Amino acid sequence: MNEERAKRWDNTKLSIRVFLANRTALVGLIIVLIYVADALIMQFDPGLLGITQVNTLVPNFTNPVPLPPSWAHPFGTTFPGVDLYTSILKAIRIDLFYSILVVAVGAVAGAVIGVVSATVGGLLDETVMRITDIFFSIPYLILALAIGFILGRSLMYMSLALALVWWPLYARYTRSQTLSTKEFTYVEAAKASGVSRTRIMFRHILPNALPPVFIQISLDLGSIMVIFSTLAFIGFIANAKVPELGYLTSLGLNYVQTAPWAVIFPGVAITVFALAVNLLGDGLRDVIDPRRRS
Amino acid sequence: MIIAARRLTKEFEIKANSAFGKPLRLRAVDSVDIQVGEGQIVGVVGESGSGKSTLGRTLLGLLSPSAGTVLFDIPDDVLREYDGFRRDGDAKGAASIEMEYSIFKKKGEKLKKIRSGMNMVFQDPYSSLDPRMNVMSIITEPLLAMNYMKPDKAVDRCMELLEEVGLPRDFAYRYPHELSGGQKQRVALARGMATLPKFLVLDEPTSALDVSVQAQILSLLRKIREKYHIGMVIITHNIAVISYMADQVNVMYAGKIVESGPKEDVILNPVHPYTIALISAVPGKMVKPNRIILKGDTPNLINPPQGCVFHPRCPMAFGICGWTADEIATDLKYLVNDKFAGSFNDKAVVSTGAGGSLVINNASAGDEGVLERIINEEKGNMKSLTAIEGLERHGTNIELKIKGYRVPKMYNHDGRKVSCLLYAGDDNKA
Repeated sequence: MNEERAKRWDNTKLSIRVFLANRTALVGLIIVLIYVADALIMQFDPGLLGITQVNTLVPNFTNPVPLPPSWAHPFGTTFPGVDLYTSILKAIRIDLFYSILVVAVGAVAGAVIGVVSATVGGLLDETVMRITDIFFSIPYLILALAIGFILGRSLMYMSLALALVWWPLYARYTRSQTLSTKEFTYVEAAKASGVSRTRIMFRHILPNALPPVFIQISLDLGSIMVIFSTLAFIGFIANAKVPELGYLTSLGLNYVQTAPWAVIFPGVAITVFALAVNLLGDGLRDVIDPRRRS
Repeated sequence: MIIAARRLTKEFEIKANSAFGKPLRLRAVDSVDIQVGEGQIVGVVGESGSGKSTLGRTLLGLLSPSAGTVLFDIPDDVLREYDGFRRDGDAKGAASIEMEYSIFKKKGEKLKKIRSGMNMVFQDPYSSLDPRMNVMSIITEPLLAMNYMKPDKAVDRCMELLEEVGLPRDFAYRYPHELSGGQKQRVALARGMATLPKFLVLDEPTSALDVSVQAQILSLLRKIREKYHIGMVIITHNIAVISYMADQVNVMYAGKIVESGPKEDVILNPVHPYTIALISAVPGKMVKPNRIILKGDTPNLINPPQGCVFHPRCPMAFGICGWTADEIATDLKYLVNDKFAGSFNDKAVVSTGAGGSLVINNASAGDEGVLERIINEEKGNMKSLTAIEGLERHGTNIELKIKGYRVPKMYNHDGRKVSCLLYAGDDNKA
């Protein structure tokens, strides 16, 4: 079995090599890691970066008008006198947490529903697909707003609303992946070899159908963050002191002509993350695809 | 016999065009009888869409048949008894034998046991091996799935099998994408013979491979057959593969076996018109002066031609092969309105009516004489005209009478079975 372990280690090395060969993916990974590191520091030891109140914005009403970037405020300030640098550091933690929550809940629910729907088939499949059609027919932002409006204005409900909007996407994608994998000859070959149906499901169909779904999920983390901050930007936020990137952007909106940095810096923080996640997803696709490895 | 199929039929349901229409049924395999003896290689040839792959899958129970049965590992005398029961209409006797030997009557452990006695090698080794499993897992899969042996023993067996198919042992830890086409097919073969089955279906085992590799795989198959005495069905469109490998040949056309017999007879001296055309189409060094090129396409299996399915394309077809009024009308229209338009009234129209009547409207006086002469002249080229029995005049209309038709059965002829009315006279018992 030593031989097998060696082979497995070789495999891991190959995976890393394939990923590193994609330079842009590496950049994406580094940026994502920086965001994650920031979120972890904010969670466990915010003092490390000289930040005290992690969960609230600190206003300065004596000088509420946005100030340009300076040594005291590297990214400048936004209305009402909020330091953008520390606020963005705080906001990344909140945004990352809720984005992951949305993707995890939506993706897991969607993937399970998709696999079951494809496996059982028949009436259930038809019903589930028509339900997803209904979800798709309503613009997602409006649907999220409606659901959020019913549930109530809090960050938790906001992410729940987004997860409710997002699961049909994963359900469809997982279903189609499962169905197309089912048709491969190796599934029939397994049947001919007397492999049981459950074993075929777990040994052949899911391992081949799910990796693209995972890639899709990781890619969506970026866009979910964008949507999440969009909701916050248009005012879907619990209270005026939550450090959230979209909300931070909206604070500077009235000063966009005289103090563009108040909008640009939080906006860039959102965009860079979405971009980095996409680059990372590209690299992961290479690693997961056995054909690109040879 | 390792495998004996009787009246095996497989229909697929096709969704109707409209939501409320009745689903259409496509008959891919139609009442096929086939048997494979121990260590015997039986070839199935036919063009694409003739149902040969469906037949292979149904023989293994991968598809459940719409009718008919597949008997596994049945002693010859029991099979003879079974055929006797079927012929005499003794449903009870036949059912009791089916209970014992039919692969579709087995469940649970018994089914697993039968499963380990048969397997399949697929056409395309690029898609028949799971890209996420290494060669070891692929080859040991049937061993473990059918509880054939313990996992630790399966590893040794895998090494043995790799050697058997001519691959080095360290390939066990490779993944399919690291192998060439030929190597993949060897792995697929190793998987197929892992449990030492008595019966193996090879679906186009070489058609995805380079010619040089094809020969290696075929000689490997022969070696394995000699060593383990595995009964095989080789499905292919390649006559060369059949003539190299098979003992018995079955020629399929539109879901039916049209000719079946020993390789030497069928390949070297074909008697069914379709087989003759098929064999004559095989490319060779010399230009064949008498090559037969069939016209038209393979028939629509949802609505197959009546009578003999091959008659619309058959160069030897004659009156009772199953011509319909529509088929004759197509040819007549060409004669009446095109080729010999000058000989007929300008307004003459060929039309078909309900109940299969065939009429020429607006004929002038004397046209039937001309028509009769033309029909007799053109009979040799247009086989459909042979089905016209006579002409009758009603006013300005000429009514054409069409002969009745027969459906060919399997007739014994010259050491083989053939499904063609040309040979119906030889044997009416079979």
